[in-house]
Amino acid sequence: MKTLAAQAAALWHARSLCWTLTRREISSRYAGTALGVLWAYAQPLLTMAAYYLVFDVVFAMRLGASAPTHAVGTYLIAGMLPWMAFSDALTRGMTSLLESASVLQKNALPPMLFPVRAVLASALVYAPLLVLLVFAYAPLHHFAPALMALPALVVLQVVLCMLWGSVLAILTAALRDVMQLVTFALSLGIFLSPVLFPAHLVPEAWRWALWLNPMTAWVSSYQGLLLQGAWPPLSHWIGMAVWLMGGALLLQVLLVRSRDQLTDWL
Amino acid sequence: MLLPSHAALPDGALPTLDAQQLGKEYRLYDSPAQRLLSLLANRRNYRSHWALQGVSFQLRRGQCLGLIGDNGAGKSTLLKLLAGTLQPSCGTLARYGRVTAILELGAGFHPDFTGRQNLYFGGSLIGIDATQMRALEASIIAFSELGEAMDRPIKTYSSGMVVRLAFALVTALEPQVLIIDEALAVGDQHFQKKCVERIEAFRNNGCTILFCSHSLYHVQRLCDQALWLHQGHMRALGPTPEVVAAYEAHVRLQQQAEAPPAEETAAPALRPAPDAAHIEAVLLADVQEPSASTTGSCGRLDSPHLRMTVRARTPEGVQPHIGLLIEQIDGVGVTSVATHFDGTQPHQDSTGAWVATVTFPDIPLHTGQYKISAYLFDNKGLVVYDEWKDCKRFSQVFAQSTPGIVRLAHQWS
Repeated sequence: MKTLAAQAAALWHARSLCWTLTRREISSRYAGTALGVLWAYAQPLLTMAAYYLVFDVVFAMRLGASAPTHAVGTYLIAGMLPWMAFSDALTRGMTSLLESASVLQKNALPPMLFPVRAVLASALVYAPLLVLLVFAYAPLHHFAPALMALPALVVLQVVLCMLWGSVLAILTAALRDVMQLVTFALSLGIFLSPVLFPAHLVPEAWRWALWLNPMTAWVSSYQGLLLQGAWPPLSHWIGMAVWLMGGALLLQVLLVRSRDQLTDWL
Repeated sequence: MLLPSHAALPDGALPTLDAQQLGKEYRLYDSPAQRLLSLLANRRNYRSHWALQGVSFQLRRGQCLGLIGDNGAGKSTLLKLLAGTLQPSCGTLARYGRVTAILELGAGFHPDFTGRQNLYFGGSLIGIDATQMRALEASIIAFSELGEAMDRPIKTYSSGMVVRLAFALVTALEPQVLIIDEALAVGDQHFQKKCVERIEAFRNNGCTILFCSHSLYHVQRLCDQALWLHQGHMRALGPTPEVVAAYEAHVRLQQQAEAPPAEETAAPALRPAPDAAHIEAVLLADVQEPSASTTGSCGRLDSPHLRMTVRARTPEGVQPHIGLLIEQIDGVGVTSVATHFDGTQPHQDSTGAWVATVTFPDIPLHTGQYKISAYLFDNKGLVVYDEWKDCKRFSQVFAQSTPGIVRLAHQWS
């Protein structure tokens, strides 16, 4: 893990630059628009509002008896927002190296700065929204103490996206097809998670497949936390740890093998 | 009159740049899919191309190293390794102090942001934080002469303006090591001169400079050491005159091998704008106009003396220097003269044109054909405002010619 540690140290050393890059990433995305950064928040907020209106107000759809909550919209939002955050951060992290090729080829900077700043920029949008969910869902269980676990979940999710975003960024640099593949996997991956339907609706024999999605542990934890005020069980923490460790190990290997050639591939 | 060397430092001084056995390997894969496979499976499924191998040198404070070599010799790769934008495949590189590279200017500017926003952002990329930038901002804007334009988006800038801002930014802090890749051709003549003066100032303050250029004149004028790279290897490293002479011989051999010199059919060099400094005329007073009866297109020198006059115009208040180069028709240099080499200067005639005439009394050339190139320099002989390469030719007939090209003063004893 020496190379990974060295990269992390280089990033820490360049943290003020990382912060500048992050802010610039957000502002450049909306440069020239009248509302500016507000658009970044508007899109997920409006999507959530639409879910609530359509499923809970207009159609008033109900989940089955054993579900953690009965309102479909309420259930959907608790899993969908973390999933959107994950999908957005991962996609941006994955394309970050290619997009910053010209900067990287002309300035002596640690390459991992770019996936990390892309994930941070995405987190700056979604993390506050996730924390805001606490206030929307608190009435369901009157501010259960388990809500204190939410910031930890958010931070771990950001770390997950940094690790896997960097892994995918290096793989994409080697072979552009990775990008298409991952975009496809992300659009299908939502079905391999408890975002759209509670895990207990999945046939017993297939339930293990949910854990192939890194976000299953997070999504289930958010749902338990927000809907029922329950602490995430140990199995979820283990699931998270496995995906975090796996990402770190893979990133270490890729960093070592791509060390002196990464910039040439961009 | 080459500039004095600044290398006279005690031997104990630590090197500011120390490269040992630097090498850069490019791995060529048959397809990008093989590249992915090598990442995942760690297989050796590539062919190696070593762009650079076994490059070692040390530079101390105040030394200036000129990097020369053919296209594709690995010069750019070496500069990028030293600047840190490429990682070496083997060898070690130690750099001490602030390293500034003038390689590709304007990288990382965003067209939708204003000059000022880009200045702060570009600064953060090269290690100038916001507090430092606030202190430097005024001097950067003054140097780039952008003034009001600083608050307009970069996309409204001309390419010259972008480059001015970028140069002012990267050179805002005085570096310990400066890496320059032919960036002397920046902006208009006036700004070029400012750039060169700034680099000169760094040099005088003891900055170590690594300078890569195809202009052997500049390498000879600026550098006390030269490194000749050939096909990724060090061909020669040492005092500039020796290395440059060896390289020139190599270039001539190469040109002879490539049958007719392609240079003459190449597109004419960019002429400076009419209001910028430029050469107006080159006159060889005693050379007859070539007539149909004479072979070739050369006029014959009709006098034992060779007289050459160059007329040039510059904007108000710009004092130029004028240089001339005599070569054999196949490109072997015979001699060069310039007003700044000889401590004199051109004079202005009644129309305001600068005129310089040089006379070689009893020119000791043997029979042959010769070509003349004329150069217009700034007042220090660093910026080349205009050059007329191979603008005049003459043939010399010397009845008592012996093998060799010149008669030299000599004594028998």
